[in-house]
Amino acid sequence: MKIRVKAFARFREILGSDLPIEFPDGAVMATILAALRGRAGDEGDAIFDGAGRLRTHVILMRNGRRVKRDELDTLVLADGDEVAIFPPVAGG
Amino acid sequence: MLLERERERYSRQILLFGEEGQERLKDAKVFIAGAGGLGCPIALYLAVAGIGEIRIADRDIVDRTNLNRQVLHRESDIGELKARSAEAKLREANPDIRVEAFATTIDATNVRDLVGDVDLIVDAMDNFSTRYLLNQEALRSGMPLIHGAIRGFDGQATTIIPGRTACLECIFPEAPPAEVFPVVGTTPGVIGLIQANEAIKYLLGKEDLLVNRLLLWDGLSTTLETYTVERRPDCPACGEGVRS
Repeated sequence: MKIRVKAFARFREILGSDLPIEFPDGAVMATILAALRGRAGDEGDAIFDGAGRLRTHVILMRNGRRVKRDELDTLVLADGDEVAIFPPVAGG
Repeated sequence: MLLERERERYSRQILLFGEEGQERLKDAKVFIAGAGGLGCPIALYLAVAGIGEIRIADRDIVDRTNLNRQVLHRESDIGELKARSAEAKLREANPDIRVEAFATTIDATNVRDLVGDVDLIVDAMDNFSTRYLLNQEALRSGMPLIHGAIRGFDGQATTIIPGRTACLECIFPEAPPAEVFPVVGTTPGVIGLIQANEAIKYLLGKEDLLVNRLLLWDGLSTTLETYTVERRPDCPACGEGVRS
């Protein structure tokens, strides 16, 4: 199945923008994140912590809805889903 | 009632929303938290739109590193309090409005007095701890809070109506890490004017505010997207367990 990943702001520079990525059917959100971790490589520090977990302030959405941290391993994605990932900013 | 010179000054926007709309703006009071990158364009555009009373707070002093983006402050203002500098420019821009400026750090002990009896709060802060405080004051008082934040070429904005929409802590449960953020002045210009536009729309009673939507501006790719955001039942600021 194809999942469309949209990264914003700094994450767009790290991951690229609007990526269609192929996953096996039944893939969960954690699998998508693992693929993004691989894609980010050395620059992934802005997105993932030392243990490979998504940093706590990062916002993750599936089809326009926020994904909670406790559903990363259980949320099964479907063909055509859109995953958005971005860092909130704090300056003024 | 509008003065004759006000009818003239605002004639182009009276074409848009009538004298009644202009009178609404004249009767309105707005609190702007911050006179920096966001606060400067927000305050300037709300002043020239004829918002009757602008209250603005900033504890800082103008330095040269501010001048690439904080468009109310000039080279000659270096060393001056931002509150005083902003106040002088706003009065000059529109002598028919009231401006009150506070050279104060916004904290838990004074936020209520600083905000006073305004109609809405505009978030032009540069840190999330003060933003959470403004959010709590908005929830306590029922006043809308228009949030904006920026970094580099990127920005975000949303309009919060207490009790009706997701609050700041629903949307951002965790503050991004503090840093000396890179920024080009156009970014707070874009986001600040989105916030000022939301303020004007709210005061005019317009529908279709930026509520339950988070707007993301990516200036490098010139894209603007909005994402649906929702109240969190377990939000520590406005959730079910919180007394309102």
